[in-house]
Amino acid sequence: MVTGLNTTKISQLLTQSTQNIDETTLSALAKVRRNALSHQKVQSPVFALAASRWTYSLIPHSAHQWVATGLLAVMLVIGAGYWQHSNEQQINELDVAILTDEMPIELLLTDSIRS
Amino acid sequence: MLNFTFGIALLLCLISLPAHAAAPSWRALTPAQREALSPLVQQWDTLPDKQRDRLLETAKRYPQMTPEQQQRYHERLPIWSKLPPEKREAARKNYRALKKMPPEKREQIKRRVKKDKEKKAHQSASAVPATSPSNQPQ
Repeated sequence: MVTGLNTTKISQLLTQSTQNIDETTLSALAKVRRNALSHQKVQSPVFALAASRWTYSLIPHSAHQWVATGLLAVMLVIGAGYWQHSNEQQINELDVAILTDEMPIELLLTDSIRS
Repeated sequence: MLNFTFGIALLLCLISLPAHAAAPSWRALTPAQREALSPLVQQWDTLPDKQRDRLLETAKRYPQMTPEQQQRYHERLPIWSKLPPEKREAARKNYRALKKMPPEKREQIKRRVKKDKEKKAHQSASAVPATSPSNQPQ
């Protein structure tokens, strides 16, 4: 039974025994350490990792994906243009109706109609 | 591949920009357009481009309007063109709302608005003599 050992004593004993390790063992240990470090993945914050993966997944990676993205973009532009055009047409129709309808224009300019 | 991305982005930006050519001045209008928009001869060149574009769109329908509609159109154009955009938008909403209402309710609103108008006119008429210097004792 070993008595009179405390953490400081144990630490000193370990340091002494490390200093007594022969060169072959030390170089083997150093090699293993380098190897382990080279295989270790860089730790990055979870959110940053998720964001970069999400951004990466948005970028097309093949010709097919590029074509699909291009078509989608063109369809979006055409859709937006059509929506804008039909909206303008509706406003023009309404303006003509307001300017020519039997309904008095004063009635349309009162604030209390929809209340 | 990067050039393609920029190409698409540039195309989207260009197309999404509002295609907005300057609206024509009064001098540049056709005789038919001038006839339809004749009540606005004085103010036409001072109106914003978008408003002129919209008025030109309404003027396209002028030849197909009945004489009564043409008269109303000419009477209302100066009022309409002087309204701020928010008031015009409110009027469009009111028109849509009124058209959706049953005729009885529409008539009820018409009567109420007419009554309010008469009441206001009566109030302003009765207020004028009290402040008018011509009615004061000499």
